[in-house]
Amino acid sequence: MRNNRYSALTAAAALAFAIATPALAADGPLVIAGARVVTVSGGVLENASIIIQNGRISSVGSGLTAPAGARIIDGKGKTVYPGLFDGLTYLGLAEVTQGAPGTVDMNETGDINPHAKAWVALHPDSELLPVARAFGITTALSAPGSAQGGQSLIAGQSAVIRTVGDTPMALTVKAPVAMHMRFPTGAPVIDFSQGFPNIEPKTFEQRVSERKKNQEKELLRLKGLLEEARAYGEGQAAGTQLKVDLPMEALALAAMGKIPVVMRVNAEADIKSAIKFAAENKIKLIVAGGAEAWRCTEELKKNDVAVLMGVDQLPTREGDPYDAAYANAATLHKAGVRFAIVTDDASNSRNLPFEAAMAHAFGLPRDAAIRAITLSPAEIFGVAPALGSIEPGKAATLIMANGDILDHRTSVTSVIIDGQETSLDNKHQRLYDKYKAR
Amino acid sequence: MKNPTFSKSALLFAALLASGFGIRAEAQDAVTAITNAKIMTVGPLGTIEKGTILIKAGKITAVGADVAVPPGATVIDAAGRVVTPGLIDAHSHTSIEDNVNECTNIVTAEVRVADVLDPKDINLYRELAGGLTAANVLHGSCNSIGGQNATIKLRYGAPSGDALLFQGAPPGIKFALGENPKRASFGGGARRYPATRMGVEVSIRNAFLEAKAYKKEWDDYEAAVKAASAKRPAKGAPAAALPPAPRKDLQMQALKEVLEGKRLVHAHSYRADEILMLINVANEMGFKIATFQHVLEGYKVATEIAKHGAGGSTFSDWWAYKEEAYDAIPYNAAIMASHGVLVSLNSDSDELARRLYWEAAKTVRYGGVSEDEAFKMVTLNPAKQLRIDKWVGSIEVGKDADLAIFRSHPFAPDTRVEMTLVDGKVLFDRSKDVAARKGVAATLGGGQ
Repeated sequence: MRNNRYSALTAAAALAFAIATPALAADGPLVIAGARVVTVSGGVLENASIIIQNGRISSVGSGLTAPAGARIIDGKGKTVYPGLFDGLTYLGLAEVTQGAPGTVDMNETGDINPHAKAWVALHPDSELLPVARAFGITTALSAPGSAQGGQSLIAGQSAVIRTVGDTPMALTVKAPVAMHMRFPTGAPVIDFSQGFPNIEPKTFEQRVSERKKNQEKELLRLKGLLEEARAYGEGQAAGTQLKVDLPMEALALAAMGKIPVVMRVNAEADIKSAIKFAAENKIKLIVAGGAEAWRCTEELKKNDVAVLMGVDQLPTREGDPYDAAYANAATLHKAGVRFAIVTDDASNSRNLPFEAAMAHAFGLPRDAAIRAITLSPAEIFGVAPALGSIEPGKAATLIMANGDILDHRTSVTSVIIDGQETSLDNKHQRLYDKYKAR
Repeated sequence: MKNPTFSKSALLFAALLASGFGIRAEAQDAVTAITNAKIMTVGPLGTIEKGTILIKAGKITAVGADVAVPPGATVIDAAGRVVTPGLIDAHSHTSIEDNVNECTNIVTAEVRVADVLDPKDINLYRELAGGLTAANVLHGSCNSIGGQNATIKLRYGAPSGDALLFQGAPPGIKFALGENPKRASFGGGARRYPATRMGVEVSIRNAFLEAKAYKKEWDDYEAAVKAASAKRPAKGAPAAALPPAPRKDLQMQALKEVLEGKRLVHAHSYRADEILMLINVANEMGFKIATFQHVLEGYKVATEIAKHGAGGSTFSDWWAYKEEAYDAIPYNAAIMASHGVLVSLNSDSDELARRLYWEAAKTVRYGGVSEDEAFKMVTLNPAKQLRIDKWVGSIEVGKDADLAIFRSHPFAPDTRVEMTLVDGKVLFDRSKDVAARKGVAATLGGGQ
């Protein structure tokens, strides 16, 4: 059983960040011997070993001596990577997104839900978790809100999770991580899970002007909410805010810059507006989506805004280069903009390295592609001291594969999370075993 | 979505036209040679490490390691690159945006995708850039029996929808089982029959009972006409009166063609029970299913699918996006193939259609399919499923010069498509595309 030092946020005023690395005293030391080690932070080591003790990496390199009683995993012919980190998912928050609403906990009703917390609703026995894990996803951001629509203006708070654990607390590595919002574009929000809407006939000009008006109104509202939350937070710190208001208390974290705000925003004009809005309102912005981020590199770089981006997408405009989405990451990389490649999905989370591969095929250097699914998200979410690369002192959260992790033909052969070798058993493997010879 | 004004793509498109498609009348004896290439023929010649392909009048006229390039040939030097057959997507809705589903009836066998093809859909160009050269453009899955498909070549920019049609490809029709025809996953709105898998079975059975009666009417009529014309009337007697012709019914006509084996059934399906259901109905009514589409639980009933002789065209690994996809597994393609089902991997998506080569690579990971068999799943196998393998799907003398030229092995993690040819014409050339962007940016006064 996992011994977890994660502490729930119970005290209203206390902001308890927890980067929990379970101590696994029961498990003896573990050694991965003679593998190719892609450390991400310190280059690639050939024929190297990794010594794991108490859930952490104690040393990496060649010529190491295995501690007494260590279990040895033969790494010959294998490559070890840091565990893959999918920086935007709804893992644990939804099982079947369409047609089984009872299994979906991504989008709370109402528009202002800063006090909705992903980590209280994680489903530890979701079949999606072992599937993601078996193919190398050890770590994920589990976030409320969704790209498919139906998201509140303020959807709630996310957590960094590990993909193994028997309780929501055991799954949670760090919470809260970020406040999730939809950047108000002014366009009507359509929830396609509620069927296809009848669109009112209007001229293009009417739509543009209505959109603009709506956006101004919504941004003003969001600005007001943030001001109110900041005042609430300041009052709380000064001991003058006596009445508890859950949404304000939660939003104060973002308004006072204690946690970043992840905003879903894709169009160039909206990204630029979001950056401006964040600067004016002193919130720490992370862009999610960022389909046209390649058009905003200057603004992103100048304001140090990180982007959580997908790769396997169509261009947003008809006249865009066919590879606009594929080359987005390479453009950001060249411009020095911080970014992570994410799936923004859950059942397809295992395809994370393949999105990185596409970015690589269209100009992102190999090491940067691997970094974008390991260390970069760890840095963006403030868990890099413990995760994202293979270094002494970090959590022993790593994977071993029989080849290049960017190659679709490669298989993941071991998944180690916090020093513990996890089962690769999953629903798909079980059904395969059951039916392959029927 | 679509920008009706003069766009960058229009300029790119114009550049493309000038670069070879449509405008210039190609001399029939002009020869194009692709030289120094690694050639994955997917045919009897296997993989040629360094060889040449000759193309004349849109057809492959020679393939091999020792093929001489005739003087005057246009040479495409593919040194270090890998030439493959153009990829084929056995399930697409490309170039029919906003016209995918005639959703209002249980049976819409009378509507035709071929009537709404848009040859200027920019996604055709984007798909060419992923090596795709042909697609089975299907009606949506709203109805138990949907509309008629169009098998197309990706001749982006062709003068009409008709010019996209793959000449000689047999016609087909879309069937759909499960959640989509019963409209289960779509909240709101009025429900219509069928609302259950029971109702889906009834609606197909009922349609075919009607179609059989319709066919009999026509068969009887045609027999009577034949008999009457064969009987020479006695001298002076009036000619035998012909029976009145039955009324032609466009919906029934399409199903009659299914019963006659002239129209291919492409059946959208997810769960094993509904796959077996359709096999039973087909056997009872006397028709064949050409392909099960999606067929995500095909792995549970692969033996039965193989026995019926149907192909399986599936996603590589999508699952859990709806209830009937909850048992989908990425080993589906491998299991079906190992049971003797002809398997292809499809996109059902203008986005996924651009990287089918990597979809194929996943079957190596999931179920240990050999690389050769895996690549067939996006080339020769879909060609066979659509009955167009006489012309495409492999690189062989006499076949159409529909080719993709990759930077490296199509499964490699750094690969991308550099050039795509349809009927021997270069319809995508990455180097020209990239160069054209600069020109476009200059013309429009800046931009990327």
